[in-house]
Amino acid sequence: MDVDIVISMGLVGVMLAMLGMGLLIAYYGSSKTRNVGVSFLVLGVGLAYYLVVMDTSDVAFWNSMLAFVGGMVGGMLGIIAFLVAIIKS
Amino acid sequence: MDMVSNYDVMNFFVPMLIVGIGVALLATGMFTSYFGAGKSQKIGFALLFFGIVILALVYLMTFGGVDAIPDDTFEEDEFNEALTSGIAALGGAIAGMFIILFVLMKVDTVDDLEDLDLEDLEDLDLDEELKKLEEELNQTDENDNTEEEE
Repeated sequence: MDVDIVISMGLVGVMLAMLGMGLLIAYYGSSKTRNVGVSFLVLGVGLAYYLVVMDTSDVAFWNSMLAFVGGMVGGMLGIIAFLVAIIKS
Repeated sequence: MDMVSNYDVMNFFVPMLIVGIGVALLATGMFTSYFGAGKSQKIGFALLFFGIVILALVYLMTFGGVDAIPDDTFEEDEFNEALTSGIAALGGAIAGMFIILFVLMKVDTVDDLEDLDLEDLEDLDLDEELKKLEEELNQTDENDNTEEEE
């Protein structure tokens, strides 16, 4: 189960990076990097298709995403707390 | 993957939120207490202290049998799944970014110089162009002189 989680959620992370960065590069890139951005977008969509349709593991996607988002939000709140403490001192 | 929408916020989101805050406080506290001086160093120690306290509480509530929060939050198995999911997704996102940066560095990102009309530039006779410019300048000077004389 743990190995399934690592593989599936690792692919989810790669997919998010591909979609996010691909979108930025495809929109703001120069004529050459734009093509690279579009290919990243295609790769991201392909990964999404694999995860939704072909991945047969029992990993609960939404709960795993909740854990990922919770960790990210918690990290941001911690850094905000650090900045507030430094600025207010 | 199981895409059925079963949200277990209290067992997945909340523990990871608290762990995220704890890790961020621990990391910033270590950084500030080491590199800071005077007042900011004291703040660094305070942040470090709170980070350690938060992470220790999470550990005790999950693995140590301390039921500080009622309900079934901080269940050991689900906490492990949540932690694995969060770390795996973060690792995957970092790996994806590295792949993107690697590809971008390997691809020639400079726009093609073929778009410039270099053939026209090669055909230019610079001496002739220079003579033309000089003639134009001389003509304008002559015109100015005649206008001043009038």
